[in-house]
Amino acid sequence: MSVIEFAANGVVYSSIIVLGSIGLAIIYSIAGFANFAHGDTMTVGGYAAFVAFGAIGGLGATVLALPVGFFVALLVGIAVAAAVAIITEKIVYEPLDIGSIGLLITSIGVAFVYRALIQLGFGAGRNQFDIPAQRPIEELIAYGVRVTPHDLAIVISAVVLVVGVHVLLQYTDLGRKMRAMADNPDLARASGIRTHRIKLWSWVLGAGLAGAGGAFLGLYNALTPRVGFSVLLVIFAAVILGGIGSVYGAMLGGFLIGMVVEMTPLLSRVGIPIGVDYGPAVAFVIMVVVLLVRPTGIAGDGTAGGEGI
Amino acid sequence: MTDRFDVGAYWSNLTNAEKRLTMAMSVLVFGLVIALLTGALGASYFLFLFGLGGMYALLSLGLNSQWGFTGLINFSVAAFFGIGAYGAALMTGSNSPIAGGFNPIFGLAIGLVLAAIVAVAIGIPTLRLRADYLAIATLGLAEVLRLVLQNERQWTNGSAGIRGIPSFFDGWPLLGEFPQWMPGLEIAIVPGSPVILGTPFWRQLLNVTLLLGFLGAAFLILRRAQRSPWGRLQRTIRADEDLAKALGKNTYSYKMQAFVLGSLIMALAGVFYAHLNLFVNPGDLDPITTFYVWVAVILGGSGSNRGALLGGFVVVAIREGSRFANDISWLPLDAAPLRLLMIGLLIILVMRFRPQGILPPQRELIWPSAIGREAPSRPDRGVPQSNGGETDE
Repeated sequence: MSVIEFAANGVVYSSIIVLGSIGLAIIYSIAGFANFAHGDTMTVGGYAAFVAFGAIGGLGATVLALPVGFFVALLVGIAVAAAVAIITEKIVYEPLDIGSIGLLITSIGVAFVYRALIQLGFGAGRNQFDIPAQRPIEELIAYGVRVTPHDLAIVISAVVLVVGVHVLLQYTDLGRKMRAMADNPDLARASGIRTHRIKLWSWVLGAGLAGAGGAFLGLYNALTPRVGFSVLLVIFAAVILGGIGSVYGAMLGGFLIGMVVEMTPLLSRVGIPIGVDYGPAVAFVIMVVVLLVRPTGIAGDGTAGGEGI
Repeated sequence: MTDRFDVGAYWSNLTNAEKRLTMAMSVLVFGLVIALLTGALGASYFLFLFGLGGMYALLSLGLNSQWGFTGLINFSVAAFFGIGAYGAALMTGSNSPIAGGFNPIFGLAIGLVLAAIVAVAIGIPTLRLRADYLAIATLGLAEVLRLVLQNERQWTNGSAGIRGIPSFFDGWPLLGEFPQWMPGLEIAIVPGSPVILGTPFWRQLLNVTLLLGFLGAAFLILRRAQRSPWGRLQRTIRADEDLAKALGKNTYSYKMQAFVLGSLIMALAGVFYAHLNLFVNPGDLDPITTFYVWVAVILGGSGSNRGALLGGFVVVAIREGSRFANDISWLPLDAAPLRLLMIGLLIILVMRFRPQGILPPQRELIWPSAIGREAPSRPDRGVPQSNGGETDE
């Protein structure tokens, strides 16, 4: 495989990681803790889309070799992930009176409950969308790039969602309030923002993006109950690289880490004999180096808290 | 005047939680004795379970000295457990790709030395980090170690694992032959269903002896350490690290000491596991192992060594008890997700309703003799130091 081919795969994988990273960063900065259930929220979204697609099926027309029904199922996945997150916030996190570390530990329990329920419902095996696999796009093979229309659909959808997040944060009332709250929750509350409601919206946004990422994970490869957890560390690495709590940092960090993971096999060409299995390990090493050298990440503003969207 | 051996006074000295727990444990022990005597529960299987419970208790003690006392969020329990288990297995196992066939004592030493080296190597970059960064970094470390064990077949046999591990006392002058020359016993208390104690029973009994040795040593060392000035400083770091720094303490160095100490105890549990199970594979390093131990510690009460012991056995009850879900045919449930569900719910419920755990630390923080028997301020009943806070009863 050529370098450009690895890079093309990296872009596709990065698109998924970016969606997960943005959500994790939003929840980190607004809810105030490292949410270990974020990966399993992706799994929830993925399985919800899987079920929805099974129910509504093809729906005639196709876009990028994907039936329109898939995009409807994607929306269902987003909605279900957001709803599950809201329910979790209401019955689990909100009544808790403990610090961010207690919330972090609780979120591990939440992650296990999500994963266990999915495994009870769907078994431990692989589930795939009933969409035929595609051959790489002919026109691009000439340039040495082998991507399928599905890969292209993932990238385009991710770009649309990321632009949507940008518009939401910069140009809407909700976005301004979220940024204010991420910056300084006490000040935001004092100036009349209903911080509680903003927190719920941040769960909707963060979990919704995670749900989309989960559906794409299912399209990219296959769904298993561990699919979200297996990318959680990569997402954490991306968020830390970008600067915890920074959404734009998470976009950049997600892109870079996704590329690195997919391009790991290239290392064996320069004499470091490690295979693709070590992709997450390389991401982890980068994360530790970032934590040592620049704990505020790329987009961090120098304050160790790393606050601000 | 309460006397140490006065049962009534001892009982009234216990907190309500301790009283209820003591009663529950008595019922449980009584039930177990009945089950053993009637043959409903095989004696050697019971000892195996007891060994497993003690192993989790040992892991919990290790985590407790990191999280419970110093406040270090270590999510790489499974990694240090794995280092101990693989250290022992690679030295003694019959299909070990590296050495194999050495005396288990050698495996024990290698496991502990490796754990200490890895703990220092991990501690150097991560112990300076904020609490939640430490959590993420240690979880990452554990995954990397699992990936290495799974992929580097030339050193670890990969996912095939290592077999042919001898039991710990094999080759010892007297104990090595002990299970073979002990006679088979047949105890018939309930007519018709005699309890038979054969070689497997004596082998498990040896394992339990080894475990009790490990557990007792760890428990005593930790109790001694935690009641000393060193332990008080660790608790200060947990409560307010800046304060400890302001007092002129090198908190980084103290955190490192606690991290290495806890990791050594976890590795000890791993060594025991290798000789109990006689087979190790990378699956033993699954992150779920880490979270079992976390459940044990927060359920028992962070910072409470008695709580860690209790938590260890509760976790094994969940782990092994859920196997029986497969036997209940009318419930279409699989054991693995059921176990995961119970662990998850337990974490959420404990954090919600009893974040201090079942047995929060009380007496263990101070030498009993440090409280003067004739101290004028001593209350009539209750434990002098921290009983007053029990308002949730």
